[in-house]
Amino acid sequence: MNIQLKMPLLKKAISISLDILTVIKSEFRTLFKDRGVVIMLVLAPLAYPILYCSLYKNETLIDVPVAAVDCSRSQESRELLRHIDATQSIHIASTYSTLAEAKQAYDEKKVHGVVYIPADFSKKLNTGDQTTVSVYADISSFMYYRIISQACTNCVLDMCNHIQIKRLNANGITGESATILSNPVPYEGIALYNEGAGFASFLMPAILILILFQTLFLGIGMIAGTSRGENRFHVLVSSSVHRGGIFRVIIGKSLTYFMIYASWSFFVLMLIPRAYNLPHIGIPFDIMMLMVPFLLATIFFSMTVSVFLPHRETSLVLFMFMSLILLFLSGVSWPQYNINGFWKAFAWIFPSTSGTQGYIKINTMGADLRHISFEYVSLWIQTFVYFATTCWAYYWQIKKSIAKQMNESLPEEIFV
Amino acid sequence: MSNKLSINITNTFKRELKRMLSRPIYFISTILIMTFTYVFFLTFFNQGQPTKMPIAVVDLDNSSISRQFSRNLEVMQHINIVMRLNSHKEAREEMQRGNIYAFVEIKRNFDKEVVSNQRPTITFYVNDAYLIAGSLINKDISYISAATSMAMQQKVLRAKGVDESRIMGIIQPIVLDTHLIGNPCANYGTYLLNVILPGILQLMVLMMTVFPIGVEYKERTTHEWLRNSDNSMFAAIIGKLIPYTIIFTILGIIGNILLYKYMHYPLNSSIGWMFLATFMLVISSQAIGILFIGITPVLRDGVTFAGLFGTLGITFAGSTFPIEQMPVGTRIFSNLFPIHHYFDIYVNQALNGVEIHYSYFSYIAMLAFLVLPFIVFYRLKNAAIKQNFPIK
Repeated sequence: MNIQLKMPLLKKAISISLDILTVIKSEFRTLFKDRGVVIMLVLAPLAYPILYCSLYKNETLIDVPVAAVDCSRSQESRELLRHIDATQSIHIASTYSTLAEAKQAYDEKKVHGVVYIPADFSKKLNTGDQTTVSVYADISSFMYYRIISQACTNCVLDMCNHIQIKRLNANGITGESATILSNPVPYEGIALYNEGAGFASFLMPAILILILFQTLFLGIGMIAGTSRGENRFHVLVSSSVHRGGIFRVIIGKSLTYFMIYASWSFFVLMLIPRAYNLPHIGIPFDIMMLMVPFLLATIFFSMTVSVFLPHRETSLVLFMFMSLILLFLSGVSWPQYNINGFWKAFAWIFPSTSGTQGYIKINTMGADLRHISFEYVSLWIQTFVYFATTCWAYYWQIKKSIAKQMNESLPEEIFV
Repeated sequence: MSNKLSINITNTFKRELKRMLSRPIYFISTILIMTFTYVFFLTFFNQGQPTKMPIAVVDLDNSSISRQFSRNLEVMQHINIVMRLNSHKEAREEMQRGNIYAFVEIKRNFDKEVVSNQRPTITFYVNDAYLIAGSLINKDISYISAATSMAMQQKVLRAKGVDESRIMGIIQPIVLDTHLIGNPCANYGTYLLNVILPGILQLMVLMMTVFPIGVEYKERTTHEWLRNSDNSMFAAIIGKLIPYTIIFTILGIIGNILLYKYMHYPLNSSIGWMFLATFMLVISSQAIGILFIGITPVLRDGVTFAGLFGTLGITFAGSTFPIEQMPVGTRIFSNLFPIHHYFDIYVNQALNGVEIHYSYFSYIAMLAFLVLPFIVFYRLKNAAIKQNFPIK
């Protein structure tokens, strides 16, 4: 009795797996036969991370040229300028006697900032008055402005400290009490997770996830558009496949993409950060656990959308620009907290948002899975919802395909 | 002769308008996507800087001094204390969850140490994985910490009977006065949108140059296309692309008006120069688009090239990370992207307001892209006549 029940079940299981295997095999074949798809699903995810990492390889700016306008021409002003020149981030490329000359150099883009020391600088320092040093910084890139103002602030603060002690001494406060009073409550700001305030360490993790998401999304769109353009009835799922049932088709296809992208994820998210010295303090197992729902959600999301793409080029033409939108929606550069409610909800639709946040929290900030429960659960919810929508969309396609088959007697030209 | 050419161009132009109405993709990838882009970015960056970002305070002292310190923090523009926690570990975990971007730690006996001149340290931890949030918060907390020291110095010096007029000179001998050229408030919208909006524009121009031409080859309608322009390939291409030149120039100019008139982003030169730059960006991108589809008149490859080139262009504009500081060779390479020259014009004209002659080179460089289509002109023409290329 037991055996009798088991036999057909086993048979069914074998037949299902064989069907899925057939789908996987045919999907692999179509995938690697198609030059465009190979570019999108193989070349792009491997080459793009290397390209971007190489471009942003210099985490911070080094020796940004600035001009000095030293109207004081004193020992003190020269000392300050020497200190500024000695910093790693900026160097004094030229010295001028008037601001107008410095502006000329700035307009010609020879320098990215100007340090102006007024004529009474040394006089005021000697009489115990307060004096001002002005810095003009290029803000065409925020990197320039940050680096220049930071370096100047540090040098000025350092000089202030020395002067303070002298002045306290002059006012009769000497020794230890002068040192204490010059800085009664010291403060220490500690940058966590990106100690050097590096640009690549900050942006690259988000770009890596987005590369995976966009190539997978566009690649699946291309495949769907092609099969629709090429099969006789201009529908996504050809009638010969659907006999196996939509589940087998969907599972077979998604497994194919998943297998490919599981290896790419390992390369992009584990090897690249180590090769380019990006932050990588996360537990590999946790990243893997996050990637499973991320890839599945992305695959089903893409399969759902791909049903509505009539031609293979459509996905590229219509969705390439989304890369930038998704980068901002992920809440890495503009903080997630400051994104308004509508766009936050919109961002949640895309698995890339939770994927990016989850990956950064684990990989850059050393969080573990329980810290990213929101992202993790979101991705699983998306996986299930998009799986359901994929099934529905494929079912709808197959119904259309059957309906068209009924009218097979019609001349083919109509469909071309 | 020239009359004949203009008739041919007009015929192709009319034919293209009809084609544009035949499929939704033409409307979506011109007007709809650009409108969405404008609405998205202008509502996204409606505040100039992210404000009131959540931070936590770990106040182990809980004295009047430490409470005063937290109250002072509250008034700062970029931070908002959302949590008061009891341990470093708890705060670090909240940071890893992403609930806070920074926390300040005030140690036990802080007030006693202040009073007894033991110089207690205020320590704060900032999450620089989110660099923008991190650096703004760092600035605010540093400011309040420095101000706390200064207030204390002032109190002591007064108590010691130092003359009021001398006190500021002792506390802060040198004041640093930082000016940001062109964008005094460090507005992120100004910084990003001036690159992103034209960046997406040039991407869509590239796409919508490759697509309308490539689709003729893909669907093998090139004979009809050429017949319509009386077998003049020149007229066929010009007439086909003029509708997009007009649409994208108008969309680009609307973008300029939105940035400089509606959002009032810095414009230290005539808006006419930006309009001209936008027009040049459109036609130079179209020239590159023709090159891409001309290399292999295969639509799918053309679209892939255009997409990769268009997205890379935004990096090579040079606003996020300066080109100068990228690896050697990148600087030369970046000149191959029209958006790079557009960005130079924007920096010179709109942001810095320097004399126009500094931008002549950028305008000429964009004009130079118009040579590119001639490289592939005969390739395109032959392929259109013989249709000897793979459609896949």
